[in-house]
Amino acid sequence: LLRELLLVFKHEFPHNLLALREAVEAKDENRVATAAHTSKGMLLNLAANRAAATVAQLEQLGRQGEVAGFAALFATFENETGKLLPQLDACMQEACK
Amino acid sequence: MRILIADDEAMSRRLLQKTLERAGYEVIAVENGRQAANQLCTTNGPKLALLDWVMPELDGPGVCGEVRKRKEQSYVYMVLLTSKEAKEDVVAGLESGADDYLTKPFDAEELKARLRTGLRILDLEDRLVEAREEMRFKAMHDSLTSLWNRGMILELLGRELSRSRREHVSTAILLCDLDHFKNVNDTFGHLAGDEVLRETAKRLLSSVRSYDFVGRYGGEEFLVVLNNCDPAFGFARAEQIRRAIAQRPVQTSTGPVPVSMSLGVLLSHEWGARPLEELLQEADLALYAAKAAGRNCVKVASPNAADRDADLRANEPAKQRR
Repeated sequence: LLRELLLVFKHEFPHNLLALREAVEAKDENRVATAAHTSKGMLLNLAANRAAATVAQLEQLGRQGEVAGFAALFATFENETGKLLPQLDACMQEACK
Repeated sequence: MRILIADDEAMSRRLLQKTLERAGYEVIAVENGRQAANQLCTTNGPKLALLDWVMPELDGPGVCGEVRKRKEQSYVYMVLLTSKEAKEDVVAGLESGADDYLTKPFDAEELKARLRTGLRILDLEDRLVEAREEMRFKAMHDSLTSLWNRGMILELLGRELSRSRREHVSTAILLCDLDHFKNVNDTFGHLAGDEVLRETAKRLLSSVRSYDFVGRYGGEEFLVVLNNCDPAFGFARAEQIRRAIAQRPVQTSTGPVPVSMSLGVLLSHEWGARPLEELLQEADLALYAAKAAGRNCVKVASPNAADRDADLRANEPAKQRR
């Protein structure tokens, strides 16, 4: 099941991250809130709590319409998920053994 | 047990599906609220649902609201799954019609335990519906023969007469009475009498069309309502019933009991808009004429039959004619 979930994550997450980036660049608070919410759900399923907490803050900013904070927080989030993906790859190799 | 899961996020959906399949559920997975509402609002849709709060098209509380609007369908137990944890969110979710609330990421054991709570409630609902249906059946049917009871057959006759007047068609009313039934009880005992009544009910039902009505009108008296039938058909069907009753003795626990039936037939279109009670009285007079003619026969009421039989009616009360 873990392997299957990781595969779904690897397939789905880049699309979601792209959608979030576009929403942040467009300063579209509704789309930011929606994409951040989806990312949060995916990350929580993998117990990636730090990245989930960051994107939850981004979701909150989206809901409150605080567009000024989008870019900085998104950069932090991207940085965290950048570190996360290699860890997940390692997990997947472990799961495939 | 079938369960619907609705979540737009593929990982959560997959995780839920696997967890529930392993727990023995038959899972239907959809990815938005509109699909969930459509599935849950169908007649034989799943009765258990796990709904994500935030979904495209229609959110979880929206799905709950739509499902609860459909009052006529059986109960659907719905659990909202979401990362929203604020008290006002919990209240809003439950106010929308959800039965329970679980925060994501879910704990598999807690999820299964909460679904078992739902299953207990659905089981209770099933038993309540079953009891209600049983009571409804008893309120409308005769306990011995399972035919419509007197109140119900009269109500059905009233409805049918209104329809036939509206649509200008004829309804045939057959008042049927077992001959010498008192002798059956006296000779063979009341248990055999009950067996005769049950077998008579079966023979009556097998002699009419599926959309005709057959009720127990009194002790050994039955009322048959033939919908949308012309006079010739009404008489022929009455004869067919008479033959079906008399064709062979009823096998009872105390031996074979020969039976026959007298029938009074009345066709509604000949009687205009007269009240139900008067029409039944005319059918009763025709039945009385059949009894007077030697029993085991059919007599059809006609507009002047009332005058013709007035003397007989005055001389012998209905209760004594059997």
